[in-house]
Amino acid sequence: MALPNQQTVDYPSFKLVIVGDGGTGKTTFVKRHLTGEFEKKYEPTIGVEVHPLDFFTNCGKIRFYCWDTAGQEKFGGLRDGYYIHGQCAIIMFDVTARLTYKNVPTWHRDLCRVCENIPIVLCGNKVDVKNRQVKAKQVTFHRKKNLQYYEISAKSNYNFEKPFLYLARKLAGDANLHFVESPALAPPEVQIDLAAQQQHEAELAAAASQPLPDDDDDTFE
Amino acid sequence: DPDAVAKAFVEHYYSTFDANRPGLVSLYQEGSMLTFEGQKIQGSQNIVAKLTGLPFQQCKHNITTVDCQPSGPAGGMLVFVSGNLQLAGEQHALKFSQMFHLISNQGNYYVFNDIFRLNYA
Repeated sequence: MALPNQQTVDYPSFKLVIVGDGGTGKTTFVKRHLTGEFEKKYEPTIGVEVHPLDFFTNCGKIRFYCWDTAGQEKFGGLRDGYYIHGQCAIIMFDVTARLTYKNVPTWHRDLCRVCENIPIVLCGNKVDVKNRQVKAKQVTFHRKKNLQYYEISAKSNYNFEKPFLYLARKLAGDANLHFVESPALAPPEVQIDLAAQQQHEAELAAAASQPLPDDDDDTFE
Repeated sequence: DPDAVAKAFVEHYYSTFDANRPGLVSLYQEGSMLTFEGQKIQGSQNIVAKLTGLPFQQCKHNITTVDCQPSGPAGGMLVFVSGNLQLAGEQHALKFSQMFHLISNQGNYYVFNDIFRLNYA
């Protein structure tokens, strides 16, 4: 959903809400997409900045109107107006700050209270940082709630397109949909250690075949 | 002059908040209550723990309006504030309103009730 002062388009477009603790990199992430950054609009009464992010698929263009807060989440939960009419979502946490993963169930609950049955991607950001506090194999929340999980690094563009491709496939109902062209992204500000990250991805894949830890959703040590 | 007292209190409160948040502890007492974005917190120590624990370091309150009324027989005062709050690292300021119920204790005021809200839809 675009803002009233924002251009609408004649190809499929969807409201994408991004939630997660303050400082996890939500704004940094959406700002990587350069045409979206150029066309973003701020609506002060809602306190939201909407970035229109276009992607090019084998079925044509698709646009995500990415709703990003102005920092209200640092004070408490967000108002329902932020979530209403959300058609897909990204929940972001910071792999270098354990508390931000611990708060994921709260964000998921708040989101699902307003948006029932929308596709959701969980993103662990800042995987370029050497000293991780949340290891790939410790991330299990998505398995309990049937979410997709991706490790990302906004500053290096690592896996930038993955969440959008997953959501586009779910929204289109086409598991074979693919991107035919990459959007223009801001140049990487950091380099990711690809060998180390491949190790993390392998651990994640191995953990996926293990039984889920028998604990409550809200606990994480 | 209650308006002058309210204005002086508001200036003191927000300059302390922006420069030295732990210093707010002396403005509350054990019976004081803060409702912060819907969350109720009681007692000066708990209130200041909440405010110092907010996940941002630097911020600047810019006050737009201050209204006040005398309240109750014991020289209390209601103060209602609206303004903008700029957080370090955020591009857009947030709008807020806050209400204080000040109680006079032998000429010194402390905050008995405090309700804070961000203003957005």
